[in-house]
Amino acid sequence: MHGSPTSSRELAERHRHEILRYLLRLLGDAEEAQDACQQTFLHAHRAFGRLRAGSNVRAWLFRIATNAARSMARGRARRSGRMVEVELDGLPGRCPPSLEDREQLRAVARAVEALPSRQRAALMLRQFEGFGYREIASCLGGNEAAARANVYQALKKLRAVLLEDSA
Amino acid sequence: MTRFDDARHDDVLIAMLIDGVPPGHEVARWLRTEAGRRRLAGYRRALGGLSRLYGDVRPRPILYWCSLPSPIGRVLVAASDAGLVRVGFRRSEASFVAELRRTLDAEPVRSPARTAEIVQQLRAYFAGERLAFDLKIDFRQVSPFLRRVLSAAASVPPGQVVSYGEIARRIGQPRGSRAVGQALGRNPMPIILPCHRVIAAGGKIGGYSGGLRMKRALLKIEGARLAG
Repeated sequence: MHGSPTSSRELAERHRHEILRYLLRLLGDAEEAQDACQQTFLHAHRAFGRLRAGSNVRAWLFRIATNAARSMARGRARRSGRMVEVELDGLPGRCPPSLEDREQLRAVARAVEALPSRQRAALMLRQFEGFGYREIASCLGGNEAAARANVYQALKKLRAVLLEDSA
Repeated sequence: MTRFDDARHDDVLIAMLIDGVPPGHEVARWLRTEAGRRRLAGYRRALGGLSRLYGDVRPRPILYWCSLPSPIGRVLVAASDAGLVRVGFRRSEASFVAELRRTLDAEPVRSPARTAEIVQQLRAYFAGERLAFDLKIDFRQVSPFLRRVLSAAASVPPGQVVSYGEIARRIGQPRGSRAVGQALGRNPMPIILPCHRVIAAGGKIGGYSGGLRMKRALLKIEGARLAG
């Protein structure tokens, strides 16, 4: 399918799957991601009429999704007041079977969970959604340099947690 | 060189790994040292872990679906880029779409444009303007046995009927009429792959997953005559 979507319904059908996966990456929890996805398209439906012709619909949608994930994560922090333990099998990627691998991956997953939400979102958008820094900035606010700094900071933290094992 | 010093090229390494920016001479030289190699390997592992945890799940194939009203109620169709994969009736859109997602592990997208040819031929069929379909069929998710049975059924011209035993004979399994009957009950593309033209011995109507009234209605559209 090509061209701009002509209705918010078409928009939802075209992007639902990738938005859901993005939200899984941001939230690490299938149920929360589903809820945030629903909110994303509800918001998009309401705001669709105000969307200017020729604007980057995908970046607009990812911005709404990012905000939905943020308010979801804030709600979770208020409720539990602590970090939720990472459930490896619930993450969107597939985990290999080996035990040492699982330990390493758990360390990465914990580091991802500990990232500030802006860094996490910037990293996922760059690495998995194919976004350039200008698009990331339009999703998260701030300028291109800040978007790049967020991605780089995030990656430095992930490398640091693996340092112990590699030495 | 200390650990602290190792960090001084981090931005260049990250730019290299995720932005595809080649390193300059100095860093390229450093990357050939033990410290450089270790640092780069650390970033590669971090990215590798990230990909395995949060990377792409197998992308699900898109199926285009649509529904149309007909004299026998709402008919639902779904097609891949390779052709028709599902026909449904006597069910809600939601359950049809959920089944596409569940049994074919697909991402259903409503698209009247991508299903236009199928819908148009079905409309003409229900209006009595055409009895035979000329559509691409995507058989990839259909077992070889069911495919043989459906192909044999599809060779029965509109307006005619054959028995389960006859289909069994045509696919070279003359004692397989019961298996043929069961297979036809699993026809994923009824109406278009005409399992309704296969009936029981002695001209009796036999069974139909969509109900016998439906089977009679389809045969009536095609002008077939049944005994009894």
